[in-house]
Amino acid sequence: MTLSLAVPDILVARARTGDLEALEALYRAFETPVYNLALRMLRTPEDAEDVLQETFLEVVRSIKQYRGEGHLWGWIKRIAASKALMRIRRNQVRATEQFDEEAVGLQVGHAEGGPGHEGPGAVAGAPARIDLERAFERLSETSRSVVWLHDVEGYTHEEIAEQMGKTVSFSKSQLARAHARLRRMLDAEGAAP
Amino acid sequence: MMHCTIDDLLALKENEASAWAKQHLEACPACRAELDALYQRIAALKALPVRRPARDRWPAVRAELRVEQRRRQRRWGAWSLSAAAGIALLLWIRPGPAGRVDAAELERVKQQSATLEAELERYDPDARVTSGRTAALAAALEDRIAVIDGELAQVGTPEAPMRGAELVKLWQERVDAMQQLMTVHVTRAAYVGL
Repeated sequence: MTLSLAVPDILVARARTGDLEALEALYRAFETPVYNLALRMLRTPEDAEDVLQETFLEVVRSIKQYRGEGHLWGWIKRIAASKALMRIRRNQVRATEQFDEEAVGLQVGHAEGGPGHEGPGAVAGAPARIDLERAFERLSETSRSVVWLHDVEGYTHEEIAEQMGKTVSFSKSQLARAHARLRRMLDAEGAAP
Repeated sequence: MMHCTIDDLLALKENEASAWAKQHLEACPACRAELDALYQRIAALKALPVRRPARDRWPAVRAELRVEQRRRQRRWGAWSLSAAAGIALLLWIRPGPAGRVDAAELERVKQQSATLEAELERYDPDARVTSGRTAALAAALEDRIAVIDGELAQVGTPEAPMRGAELVKLWQERVDAMQQLMTVHVTRAAYVGL
């Protein structure tokens, strides 16, 4: 599904003056992509809605600093990703992540079976068929964030590392582990990608 | 036979792979299939349906924006009305035992008001997510404070003659409203007597 994210400059100019109608129009233009991004990174719709609200309040507070360099969605997306990552850090304090701590064998290939066979690393007791969306949702919030920002939103590892306050190698290893897990979940019973 | 690791495949995708991985890929159909599967997985992620919020959060955002707007106005108002109150104190509180009580009381409630203002500033409700109900309650209290500030700003003009006791009462009302506002923000209480 493609969303149109272009907004006229005049709308941004009006929003800068605090015009509520213009601010609502901006909100309406970006509520779905912001929510979608937050939902892909976080676990619950409630968290994603909170991030949507926090993001837009931040957009309003900071819109005077937006100089029109680059796409407005790129600027808003950065704020949304930052708010979602802040929430992930808060959530991590509260709960131990379910999947992140599991040892994951990263080598996909084996001498006997080739790369298509997991051998001893396969997920025990995995559901018979699991689609990509469900498999993705089973990743930790950190892994999901890295996968989504890198593979879907096109962030570089450097940008992800900067936003997360981590190293580039952390981002790379999270991505590798996440893909290894996705592949194993999807291949457990021969599900399609 | 050694195959590519997931790191190798991701590096191949980014065109950052080692010479060994590139060479191996040429010779290994299984690893080529694995790289294709990685591309397909990423394409499938990009094609996942766009999720939309179930609830409209705009009313909560708008209420919060209005609260912030009022708060900004109130900060300016508080700054200017403290100067006005100082003048009023000189004009209306005459020397004598009753005047001294009024002056001391006025000073006390003004200090209370300033302390609450500072506490609210430290709590920084702007940086927190609030429900629509909390934002509406806060907006009502902000309105009440704005009205009181308006009255206080008028003190000292011929249109608003006021005795010391009345001035103290007005400041006390401001303190009460500030306390309720603090309660709303800190406890997110659904009921604050409004």
